[in-house]
Amino acid sequence: MLIFLARRLGAGILLLLVISLLTFVLLSIPHTDVGRALLGQSAPQAAVDAKNASLGLDRSVLAQYGDWLSHAVRGDLGRSWFTGEDVWSALGTRLPVTLSLVVGVTLVTAVLSLLLGVWAAVRGGLVDRCVQVLSVVGYALPGFLVTLVFVLVFAVRLGWFPAIGYIPFTQSVSGWLSTITLPVAALSVGAVAGVAQQVRGSVLDVLQRDFVRTLRARGLPPGRVLFRHVVRNASAPALTVLGLQFVGLLGGAVLVEQIFGLPGIGSMTVQYTTRGDIPVIMGLVMVSVAGVVVVNLLVDVLVGVLNPKARVA
Amino acid sequence: MKTTRILAAVAAAGVAAGLAACSGAGGGVAGTTAQHSDTLAVGTMTVAQSLDPTQANGSALPYYQAVYDTLVLRKADGTFAPMLASEWKYDDTSTRLTLTLRSGVTFSDGTAFDATAVKKNLEAFAKGGGGSATQLASLKGVEVVDPTHVVVELKQPDPALLFSLSDAAGLMASPAKIGSKDLATQPDGTGPYTLDTSKTAIGSKYVYERKADYWGDKAPYATLSISSFDNENAIVNGLKTGQLNTAVLQTVDQQIAAEGDTKLAEQKFEFDFQGILLFDRVGAVNKALADPRVRQAVNYGIDRAALLQGLRQGRGTVTSQIWGTETPGYDKALDDAYPYDPAKAKQLLADAGHAKGVTLTLPAMAGITTDAMTSALTTQLAKAGITVKWEQLDGASALQKIFRDRAYAGMVMNLGQSSNAWNLVQTAILPGTFNPFGYTDDTVTSLSAKLLTDDEAATATDAAALNEHVVEDAWFAPFYRMTYTLVTDPTVKATTQSGMAVPSIYDYQPAS
Repeated sequence: MLIFLARRLGAGILLLLVISLLTFVLLSIPHTDVGRALLGQSAPQAAVDAKNASLGLDRSVLAQYGDWLSHAVRGDLGRSWFTGEDVWSALGTRLPVTLSLVVGVTLVTAVLSLLLGVWAAVRGGLVDRCVQVLSVVGYALPGFLVTLVFVLVFAVRLGWFPAIGYIPFTQSVSGWLSTITLPVAALSVGAVAGVAQQVRGSVLDVLQRDFVRTLRARGLPPGRVLFRHVVRNASAPALTVLGLQFVGLLGGAVLVEQIFGLPGIGSMTVQYTTRGDIPVIMGLVMVSVAGVVVVNLLVDVLVGVLNPKARVA
Repeated sequence: MKTTRILAAVAAAGVAAGLAACSGAGGGVAGTTAQHSDTLAVGTMTVAQSLDPTQANGSALPYYQAVYDTLVLRKADGTFAPMLASEWKYDDTSTRLTLTLRSGVTFSDGTAFDATAVKKNLEAFAKGGGGSATQLASLKGVEVVDPTHVVVELKQPDPALLFSLSDAAGLMASPAKIGSKDLATQPDGTGPYTLDTSKTAIGSKYVYERKADYWGDKAPYATLSISSFDNENAIVNGLKTGQLNTAVLQTVDQQIAAEGDTKLAEQKFEFDFQGILLFDRVGAVNKALADPRVRQAVNYGIDRAALLQGLRQGRGTVTSQIWGTETPGYDKALDDAYPYDPAKAKQLLADAGHAKGVTLTLPAMAGITTDAMTSALTTQLAKAGITVKWEQLDGASALQKIFRDRAYAGMVMNLGQSSNAWNLVQTAILPGTFNPFGYTDDTVTSLSAKLLTDDEAATATDAAALNEHVVEDAWFAPFYRMTYTLVTDPTVKATTQSGMAVPSIYDYQPAS
């Protein structure tokens, strides 16, 4: 297991390096005039050129990348070209917002889809059909539409939740919950629909296996058969889908953050990429890639814990 | 045992989700919408950059005003009043401005505000390479007479200097912090508020707390927050739910959405115009445009009323001049200088030797042009014998292509209409960013030279003559001035700020 972990970690670091180079080169291709974006449209061209030179943008892309990398490996991601904020501090303010969303949605999805999926598989009949129809509808509805409707109904009309903004957990727990509940709910609709179907399918599959029949024949209580054996065996594919959802949510968060005006990394990515703020975007990409690597690793380990057959050498 | 663990985890997650639902439905909202009258929450589409005043930009002024005072105060009606400078006086040559400074004022870090601080700030601003650094382009030097007197020396008269000192160039930061990187995120001024860095998310939401020992009148709000958004839909939702108290709305759809809520009050105002800036009056990229008759044809070929109705549901005023209603030299009659007349446009083209028509290539870019606009303009101008070709560009690289590479003969643009005539002339008429090909003529040269030393009355006359000349010579093809709405909820009274797209922070008062 340790060797497996070390190998995965090594691959992760390599991935970080490759992606950092790719991102840097890709960011440099469009010739975004950062100086112009910084100084505004009415600034004289000479001032714009001087600004670009002061940011080192007149050097070759590789020289710029080398400079960035030599600082990055020492933990110095630089400062935002636009706000002058330290990149780590910028990520420190934004990351908790998106993590609140993504972790919240993942938890809600895990619980609800497990309950719905198992319920549908075990009860069958009308319950199964209802869950299936709801899943298809939930999956088919565009995320932004769900979000807009949620805001309109639950925030603007009913006033149950705030329509915009974010309150950090450290400032007020109830405030934090109130600001993330609607975004989490909006993002969960599609996620639950997708994972519940997966759980239902896997549980049905396992229920028909011989060992389940044998266990039942030996007189084990149905609850024990279900949770100890069936769900455990069915969990691996569901966990994999859940892991993929987690990664996909980072993308889905962009829209939800814009609609709710949340200062997360989704809206940050859009804002800073359009302006060409390379230090911040590089920091964002590195943190996101690291997040994806860690989540995939966690999923692998969890699957291994739940299902010994899936463990690899 | 493993089952127990899984069940426990599932149960814990369930409890957490339940808790989220309950608390959200119950007391949660109170936590965010507690907008008492001592709190003002402003929503805006303008993103603040560095809070270092040398990097300040006029459009983001409110973010700075909370922390930094300016030397001169620009009131809502555009007139000037004392702030950190209690008096000012020009010499006879208009190149030496003596400022008398308020004494007993300190920066947040305890440093005293005095003549040396003014000198350091002005010099840092002029050399700082910020977006508004040109405001002090004519600065020759700053002479410290004594701690409360300072002389601003100019290379040539600058009719916009007082405006600049009430704007980005006049923001005063603690001299101890000037040049430090920290100023970008930890501003230090003499202003009525300090930035609460613990509640601020740089680039998104700025929270300011009232300073107890402010030298001037006590700020009306204990807490001021300015949040930036990238869509007005979120702003309107915030206004409707009381999470925001005020905002300026530019898009027609959102203006209408806000008007649907009876709690909200709207004030309409105009700040900028939209139109085609016909840069290439020298004929460098498009030879035909060097002939004023071709530029006039473009003007006659635009059905401004139809554009205004189609693109902004009539919210605005059609115009053929780039002067705004508050700019000295504005002439209402010039709004209708070019009525829609495709036949006349064709005749003008024929007179100029282009009987078969001309082609105009313009950049199309998100945020400025829309599909509805480009197709309407293409159709309208085609009837006048002008074929418009649009080249789709993406935001940041577009600016490089337009301003550095000078690849286009013109562009569609929204341009602010300053309440200071010299500012407008400097931005739009004289060689520079919006006159990239550096075209000028004798009338423009002599009138703009006169504007440098004109008194108020002469400014109005000369600016009017200049305005009339550039309209006649068709330097631009403006469509209309856009109507914006300043929306306020019942807790706040706000006034629009002359020559600015958003109110200054001094323009807000609690309603009761």
